[in-house]
Amino acid sequence: MNAIWTIFKKEWDRVIKDKRLVLSVMLLPGLMIFLIYSIMGNVISDFTAQEPGQVAIVNPSAGFTALYSTPVWGEDENGDPVIVFEEKADVIAISVAEAQTYRDRIDAGDWDLLIVFPENLEADLAPGYQANIEVYHNQNETQSATVQSRFSGYLTVYAELLRQTVYGETDVLMLQTDSVEYDDEKAMGMMMSTLLPMLVVMFLFSGAMSIGPESIAGEKERGTMATLLIMPVKRSEIALGKVLSLSVLALISALSSFLGIISSLPKMMGMEVSQVLAIYDFADLALMLVLLFSTVFVIVGLVAVVSAFSKSLKEAGTLIMPLYLITIVIGITSMFSEGAVSGWWFYLLPMYNTVQSLTAILLSDSLAPWYVLITVAANLAVTAGLVYLLTRMFHSEKIMFAK
Amino acid sequence: MEAKIVVTDLTKTFRLSKKQQRIERTTESVKVAVDHLSFEAYQGEIFGLLGPNGAGKTTTLRCISTLIKADSGDIYVDGHGVRNEETEIRKRIGFLTSDLKLEEFFTPNYLFDYFARLHSVDPETAAARKADLFGKFGIDRFAEVKVGELSTGMRQKVQIALALIHDPGVIVFDEPTNGLDILTAKVVTDYLRELRDAGKAIIISTHIFSLVEKICDRVGIIVNGKLKWCKPLADVKASGTDLEQLFFDLVAEESREDSR
Ligand SMILES: Nc1ncnc2c1ncn2[C@@H]1O[C@H](COP(=O)(O)OP(=O)(O)OP(=O)(O)O)[C@@H](O)[C@H]1O
Ligand SMILES: [Mg+2]
Repeated sequence: MNAIWTIFKKEWDRVIKDKRLVLSVMLLPGLMIFLIYSIMGNVISDFTAQEPGQVAIVNPSAGFTALYSTPVWGEDENGDPVIVFEEKADVIAISVAEAQTYRDRIDAGDWDLLIVFPENLEADLAPGYQANIEVYHNQNETQSATVQSRFSGYLTVYAELLRQTVYGETDVLMLQTDSVEYDDEKAMGMMMSTLLPMLVVMFLFSGAMSIGPESIAGEKERGTMATLLIMPVKRSEIALGKVLSLSVLALISALSSFLGIISSLPKMMGMEVSQVLAIYDFADLALMLVLLFSTVFVIVGLVAVVSAFSKSLKEAGTLIMPLYLITIVIGITSMFSEGAVSGWWFYLLPMYNTVQSLTAILLSDSLAPWYVLITVAANLAVTAGLVYLLTRMFHSEKIMFAK
Repeated sequence: MEAKIVVTDLTKTFRLSKKQQRIERTTESVKVAVDHLSFEAYQGEIFGLLGPNGAGKTTTLRCISTLIKADSGDIYVDGHGVRNEETEIRKRIGFLTSDLKLEEFFTPNYLFDYFARLHSVDPETAAARKADLFGKFGIDRFAEVKVGELSTGMRQKVQIALALIHDPGVIVFDEPTNGLDILTAKVVTDYLRELRDAGKAIIISTHIFSLVEKICDRVGIIVNGKLKWCKPLADVKASGTDLEQLFFDLVAEESREDSR
């Protein structure tokens, strides 16, 4: 027990006391991701800013128009200064009769969006009143989809405003979209659930990869492992001490990357960090943390076993690369699946189970806690197996002193 | 005198890879590094293993210190067998050899504390021993210098200090004065004598005759993995030849036997 802690501490010090390693393992991952994503975010928002989009609105109300317009000082007909709204999109008001023409144009791809408000919406507003709003766009057109998602945002805010005028009545606006039912949180969850699982396993893996081979294959190559092996401690304690410390370090490295993503989200998606985090409650975050910890054990266990098998640091790097690529491919599977898989046995497969459980948590799947439970159990079992294997390898003269 | 190390019929072979076969210029896939070796080392003496390059000295010492396993034969250290009491042996042995390296990133001070903890030496005892050993070998001034920045000699002295961290009863030093200048070498040999007089059992390996003549009580001459001679040093002188001549005769004898 004592030896495990001693070895843990040494591995920890090896990284923490080395400015170069602290920089490359803990600070750079987050910083790099922040920079890359912020640049990406800027490019995306520039791209959307360039084309304001063409929007036709039936019965536009003043309150709604104000939302997507920028207030600037202008002049009224007498030359006195007044606030006027400068519209950001190319929005025109049309009559109910014209609506069908615009639906056809949207189908054909030469118009972006149609919104149909009922007549006198703001005037008729009273408790108990419900308005149906039609939002029509073409999902196959990127421009149309972008404009739609922006205006859906305005509509959400508008609904909120109206709600306040009718003392918190919640069903005041019924949004009718042509296909997907509009739901802010769900959209965000979808977006996160497609990208995040892949990113998370990637980060965990690259964190483990940046220190694992060094600590085992490197020590073996440099002959410092032999010094450790003649100490009067169990080889299983050496294996555990190394795996535990490498796991904590890899997790810190992954968290750094994670912070990088979170802090670049505002630029990336035009959302505040707090907005993103508000979608997930404490239980979700706790589940994620447990999940990540169990996953990092598996990854570090794998990296450690491969490193122990390798004769040199270089060989370890070469052998781990394919595993890394497989992990990324597994991560990508989450992008093409609709929600998490439901068969419990899928959660016995390391890596795949992490990706699927994470998808479940992000989509607020009610079964998520069960998936996480199976995943953690499976991961711990796999880790135990890997530590056992590592111990056996530490006992093997052929593996440890190969020439 | 009590036999602290008992080696009986020790044999160790290595499987050679194709690449190693080319380097060693042999077509045989198995190299017999140690060939039915038997000897004992007693408490309060320095036993020297003398042999040419590749004779199997390091391999023998690695087997004794449980770093590698013997193919056949038995080794007992202070009554504990290498087959199933590895940990007990590791607690009692101080091993020095060139292929046990120290992590260059850490300082002697850090490493001393680290290995003391792995040996379960309590902190006070460890501190006292550190002061003693670092003082003796002049490591104090370099205690906070990273091992990677130390000179070869200083590094060797740090290795020696770390090998003695747990005050072992049995000391196994492979080429202890290799790479040291004569001043530093003298510090080491003097200290080995001191340890012998304190009742330790010491085995050193070397191919330097003068070192054997200077500090060893008994000598085993090993050629081609076989022990060709194992007697007190005084017997060499009594037989009318010197160690060097004896050594040449034994090597010649072995090569005749080997080619037969
Ligand atoms: N891991 C190994 N794999 C293959 N052959 C080995 C291995 N270790 C040692 N040998 C071979 O065993 C023989 C004995 O080696 P050993 O290192 O014990 O010799 P030595 O007496 O210490 O020599 P030196 O004076 O050069 O240190 C040599 O031929 C060496 O090449
Ligand atoms: Mg040698």
